[in-house]
Amino acid sequence: MTTHARDQDVVVQTPPRVRRRSLAGYMVMPVILALVCLALYLYVGSRELDSIEARSLNAASLAKATWEHIQLTAVSTLLTLIVAVPLGILLTRPLTRRIRPYILTVLTLGQAVPTIAVLVLLAVAFLFLGFQAAVVGLVLYAIIPVLLNTMVGLEQVDESVLEAGRGMGISKFGVLRRLELPLSVPIILAGVRTALVINVGTATLTTYINAGGLGDIIVAGLSTNRVLIQLVGAALTAVLALLIDYLAGIAEDFLRPKGL
Amino acid sequence: MTSSPNVSQPNRKVMIRLENLTKRFPGQKQNAVDNLTLDIYEGEIVVLVGPSGCGKTTTMKTINRIIEPTSGRIILDGEDVTTANPDTLRRRIGYVIQQVGLFPHQTIGENIATVPKLLGWDSKRVTARVDELLDMVNMSPADYRDRYPKQLSGGQRQRVGVARALGADPDVMLMDEPFGAIDPITRDRLQNEFLRLQSEVRKTIVFVTHDIDEAIKMGDRIVILQEASRIAQYDTPERILTAPANQFVADFIGKGASLKRLNLSRVSDIELSSWPTVRVGADSAQVLDQLRSSGRDSVLVLDDAGRPRRWVGAGDLQSSPSGALEEIGVPVEGMVEPTATLSDALNELIAARNSVTIVVDPAGVYRGVVDINQINETIRAMRSTSAAQNAADLAERSTAGSASERP
Repeated sequence: MTTHARDQDVVVQTPPRVRRRSLAGYMVMPVILALVCLALYLYVGSRELDSIEARSLNAASLAKATWEHIQLTAVSTLLTLIVAVPLGILLTRPLTRRIRPYILTVLTLGQAVPTIAVLVLLAVAFLFLGFQAAVVGLVLYAIIPVLLNTMVGLEQVDESVLEAGRGMGISKFGVLRRLELPLSVPIILAGVRTALVINVGTATLTTYINAGGLGDIIVAGLSTNRVLIQLVGAALTAVLALLIDYLAGIAEDFLRPKGL
Repeated sequence: MTSSPNVSQPNRKVMIRLENLTKRFPGQKQNAVDNLTLDIYEGEIVVLVGPSGCGKTTTMKTINRIIEPTSGRIILDGEDVTTANPDTLRRRIGYVIQQVGLFPHQTIGENIATVPKLLGWDSKRVTARVDELLDMVNMSPADYRDRYPKQLSGGQRQRVGVARALGADPDVMLMDEPFGAIDPITRDRLQNEFLRLQSEVRKTIVFVTHDIDEAIKMGDRIVILQEASRIAQYDTPERILTAPANQFVADFIGKGASLKRLNLSRVSDIELSSWPTVRVGADSAQVLDQLRSSGRDSVLVLDDAGRPRRWVGAGDLQSSPSGALEEIGVPVEGMVEPTATLSDALNELIAARNSVTIVVDPAGVYRGVVDINQINETIRAMRSTSAAQNAADLAERSTAGSASERP
């Protein structure tokens, strides 16, 4: 960070704020996660596995579950963004001022319903199962943080910046694209990061509607009363969540506009 | 700055004309701006000033239609822009606001380039223009072009704000309390810089402030507004100070109008008095002769180049009859140049010996003196001229039946 000179007209010689961590700073989290995976691998390798354990704890099924989990998270987060960011923009326009509270109430209520209930409802009421149903459930749950952050992000943009922009003859759309969105990127990204983390965690539940993911491993361990399988499934989920949060943090650092 | 130009000035071009402009905000019972008619001439700074809530900012913002008028017309450079495309209209009008509103995610150069880019200038022309504007506001392009707004001080940001408003060289600028949020010392400096800049670029400027002193300093003309943007007086600073149109204006100016008025006249505008002088080489007989013939109690000793050096009185000659003139008496101090305001002259006069302020030219050569009677006469002369002009205006207005200025 920089300190600003008090005197009004002293030339303020401040270098651009160092906003990215050092390379070493970036390396800490991946190294820790790799060590956790290595420890898990060594521990599992040191144990004699029975046939049930061996069926779950092999490279192919673990890789398949992890990959499914990543797909679920990625697709649901992407869809969340596609829905929530434009909705957030719409709800901050003067035209929608009147309907804003109603829409927010409905969406907040939606978030109060647990995802597992949504998933079961989709399965039981609509016979809607598998990957797509899982994505619907995840998106419904993750919309609210992204939407709220988009709205807060847009509303915290300094009013005088927008007035100056309008006053210079930038069109309404231009003000949105060139001023409002770039200036709210840090807050919108924080919402995206929250959505990602929520989705990684919640995606373990989609195993119940046959959508795969690391939930498969955990549930297999639970139903066969094999603690080792449960442990591996839970640890991999945690590692994946931390890894995705870490990657989102890097994205935040690099996508934040300079000068903020 | 000195004479009071005739307000009607038929030979000057009207740059902005507001016609029966009215604004009522939704849900309000009273008009924020009520049937305002105002002509603003090309190349002038017109200051809208009035108590808070009088509608001065609203009035200004209707000109670039940041606030759309409820009724009435806005005519810019002869063209009715009341229903023109607001975005293209605004690109023709520079806009400076108190909070500056620089785009924090863009460099200073990008900020200044905003309107030129909107107008589709090629990049070479834009770059050249950015550097030219930074130079104009006394900021080195090489040092500042690639910085971000948060790296600048408040005063520097407002300079950039002014440069950005001048981006595409608009004929008209709107400035909403541009120096309001800046400390007094920097504000004074920025005001002076801006006046110097304006003497080069000669824009038509509508300037809003609540500070009557700033209005007097910045304005070629001042519009004093009462509630609902009713014009209490539209006149030059000189005449507003010396001949307030009504009690509202007098109250708004407050006490010390005569002192403020002195800021608007320069020493060069009045005829200087003379004072007995002798050269350093003169003998005491010459000094005594001068003292006797002038009836003053001291003479001003000038050096060979004619620069005032010392005050010497009869008593000084007696106490050291053999001393050279440059060693007796007291040294002079507090001299002003002809470009100084009468206010500066008065300030020196109060503290000066013999109750006069010595006036010297830029080379330091003696030109004459100013005494309290001259300042007093100047003020009274200004009053009577303004009063006479007001009477004439009133007569003219009653025959013309204009309703734009109400008591």
